[in-house]
Amino acid sequence: MLGMLWRLLSRRIERTQGSAQAETGSVEGRISSRLPVNRERIKAAFGNSADLVFRDLQTGAQGKISALVVHIDGLVDKRQVAEAVIEQITDMGLKWDSPRQAYADLKARLLSASGVEEVDSLDKFITHVAGGHSGVLIDGIGKGLVCDTRGWEQRGIDEPTTEATVRGSKEGFVETLRTNTSLLRRRIMGSQLRIEEMRIGRITKTRVAIAYIAGVANHETVQEVRNRLRRIDADAIHESGNIEEYIEDAPFSPFPTILRTERPDKVTGALLEGRIAILTDGTPFVLIVPATFTMFLTSTEDYYERYFIGSVLRLLRVAAFFISLTLPSLYVAVTTFHQEMLPTPLVLSIAAQREGIPFPAVVEALLMEFVFETLREAGVRLPRVVGQAVSIIGALVIGDAAIRAGLASPAMVMVVAFTGIASFATPVFSLAIGVRLLRFLMTVLAGVLGLFGIVAGMFALLIHLTCLRSFGVPFLEPLAPIVFSDLKDALLRAPWWALRTRPQFTGKKAPTRQAPGLRPRPPSAEEKEVHHLVGKEGGK
Amino acid sequence: MSKVEGGKISGRQLMAVLVLSRVVPITVAFPMITELRVPQDAWIASLLGTLLSIPFVLLVVRLGLKFPDKTIIEYSELLLGRYLGKLVGLILVWYWISVVADVARELGEAYTTAIMPETPILVFMIVTAFLAANAARNGLEVVGRMGENGVWVVLFFLIVMFVLPYDEMRFKNLAPVLAHGLRPLAAPTGTVVSFFLQFIVLGMVLPYLNRPKDAVRHSVYAVLASGLLMTWLAIVLVAVFGPTVSGLAMPAFSLSRMISIANFLERIEAITMGAWTLSSEIKLALFLWASAVGLAQVFGISRFQSFVYPLGAIAVAFGILFFESNVDLQRFLQFRNLGVYSLIVAAGTTAILYVAALLRGRLRLGPGVRR
Repeated sequence: MLGMLWRLLSRRIERTQGSAQAETGSVEGRISSRLPVNRERIKAAFGNSADLVFRDLQTGAQGKISALVVHIDGLVDKRQVAEAVIEQITDMGLKWDSPRQAYADLKARLLSASGVEEVDSLDKFITHVAGGHSGVLIDGIGKGLVCDTRGWEQRGIDEPTTEATVRGSKEGFVETLRTNTSLLRRRIMGSQLRIEEMRIGRITKTRVAIAYIAGVANHETVQEVRNRLRRIDADAIHESGNIEEYIEDAPFSPFPTILRTERPDKVTGALLEGRIAILTDGTPFVLIVPATFTMFLTSTEDYYERYFIGSVLRLLRVAAFFISLTLPSLYVAVTTFHQEMLPTPLVLSIAAQREGIPFPAVVEALLMEFVFETLREAGVRLPRVVGQAVSIIGALVIGDAAIRAGLASPAMVMVVAFTGIASFATPVFSLAIGVRLLRFLMTVLAGVLGLFGIVAGMFALLIHLTCLRSFGVPFLEPLAPIVFSDLKDALLRAPWWALRTRPQFTGKKAPTRQAPGLRPRPPSAEEKEVHHLVGKEGGK
Repeated sequence: MSKVEGGKISGRQLMAVLVLSRVVPITVAFPMITELRVPQDAWIASLLGTLLSIPFVLLVVRLGLKFPDKTIIEYSELLLGRYLGKLVGLILVWYWISVVADVARELGEAYTTAIMPETPILVFMIVTAFLAANAARNGLEVVGRMGENGVWVVLFFLIVMFVLPYDEMRFKNLAPVLAHGLRPLAAPTGTVVSFFLQFIVLGMVLPYLNRPKDAVRHSVYAVLASGLLMTWLAIVLVAVFGPTVSGLAMPAFSLSRMISIANFLERIEAITMGAWTLSSEIKLALFLWASAVGLAQVFGISRFQSFVYPLGAIAVAFGILFFESNVDLQRFLQFRNLGVYSLIVAAGTTAILYVAALLRGRLRLGPGVRR
């Protein structure tokens, strides 16, 4: 229904759009062989920006070859520019006779930066310079060289703040794309790891990389990811969240169909299941597709702790998920419509508590939920020092004062507080946030229709979830459709040596991931014999 | 392959959906038991009814497999000619709509009598039909997947309901066996069969199976599984309530009220109601889907989705108009009404189609078409 509204709206918007496209700033044409022309055009392209640095050099045997080095201050490593570019041109250039020789020499061996590329379109040259490369132009040559001299201030690799774990790697992604890809490379040394890069955003020209493992990921899915990314024709990509909204399958769903994470080990785990990661420059949050519902209830730690602990923790999270979705609505339904379902003493006690409260249970629940959500939001945004004050006030307001003021019953406070705690148990914030919204809806339904309302709401959710797909994979897989071989790593986690096959939808290209019979066991008599003999021989 | 529906379901999903739709009429009410003069023999009636239903289901499946890519609506047109075929198609659509109407009304009645007496029955029926239509609109694939999930939930609660009242069970209540002979069992057995006749919906589902070979196995399993569940429930009901069971309006619901474990697990009838609502929704979705696709095929329209919501609304209206009261509804579910009606409509059409297929099969369909 939302979809239909949207279509109506967008037809309106398209009509009014016309030529509202932003100026892309791209420069037509090739690099000229005359240096001053190039210089003017580059200057014009950047509009005389203050951080653009030109360095004019005279070199060659007769000092007649003029060269130009262009870079952006702050994006380059100054020492590297001096040593690898400028020194090479000035010192080594004394034996050059012609610009052609100079250019060939520079390209072949002299520029000692690790990445040197030849470009002939001015637009490409400028894009590289804007990305932190140093550009070298020589008078009389219609081509330019760009050297990778990037080096800017960046945050050190830190523990991921949103996904802390007790056991496992403490490294988290940072804002620099190259560092992030290196974090993946360091964990997957095999050359099968493919990293493709593209630029998205007409003005921001944000670098976006797709990572997958060749031979494991489906070609079609990789192609689909490429296509969806190429489709994006917008001014700006500020964060991977922007990309997520452009490429997700269900833009009107409260549930996210793309997983995001700050943890390299989570990404490598997903890559090895045949999934695809999308890394965006400027944000530590990496997107993983296709994502399924169970992945949102999974933490990397489940795989590092022993398997039955991991399994029990997962079940706990599933329970917490349902509690955070339905507990207030259940309370409202039972106290308003179905008192007979509670044990009699409990009914009496709740009735006594609600004695002086002026609102019906629905209003009470919505009110307390609202207070709780406001407190949470305030606590998240405030500086840490003030945040503490908020939590103290919050504890007083939501707890003691509300009860004493006769606004809420103690049971309701307990329900709301527990619901809040349960919603923190969902490991991925983007899922928890959707559930937060749905909880209000469920509460209203329960207030109107009682338990029937809850069942109806849950059924509607089930229909919705069953219809969702993420890049061709059913969102509820392996729960609906039931895929028995994938249930081993869904709500429970089988021991690591039993996780022999990859998930069916994403990993069908290379179904097995380990040899059979890796289950540890005491050596049999024969094996002991062999070990014994080998040991003896070794001893000699 | 008709383009009306594009999805595919697996044999397991088919089985799940069938079991759910057969379990619906016994989870709260238990139509067969109320017309028994000797409730002790309820389990014999349900067992007999189940066994008698297997040939019918096999017939439907065999007929369907002769036309592996056509629904019953489409091949009835092939077999009976254009007009007679369309007429049979419309009768079947009518039958499925009446099933939807009946289930929706049943659900509404149960909620208004047992849980929320002050809410108008229309509220429950409209919400239920709307949700089911919503599921049906998304196609058979979604209905199948929800069935596959829902069946575990429903089975779990059913089994809990069957096992936990062990304190109250007196198996002496089951005696005497067949005190009055087989004759009083005829009508209740017929009722059991008449609910199994709803499996004619298989005629719509079969062409969308991803492996048609599974059809026979899984539909027979579905009949057996739901039949055994029903027999078990009949035994438990009689063991708990004794001969008075036939006086209860909603025996299975009353059974769940009996459960009390350690003064903690009490009054779990809400959970029963929840599981039952879930299975009713899936049944409604299946039959709404079948009737919408059927109607689209009768009139040669390529999108069945546009029919789903109107048909749901019509079914709700029928559910209100058909029955004057809950008593009326329960009387309708007895053999002399529902049984005769379904025998004529479902078994009758199947028989006509099968005979036509046999006759034509000798004339036109070569061995290549017949499997």
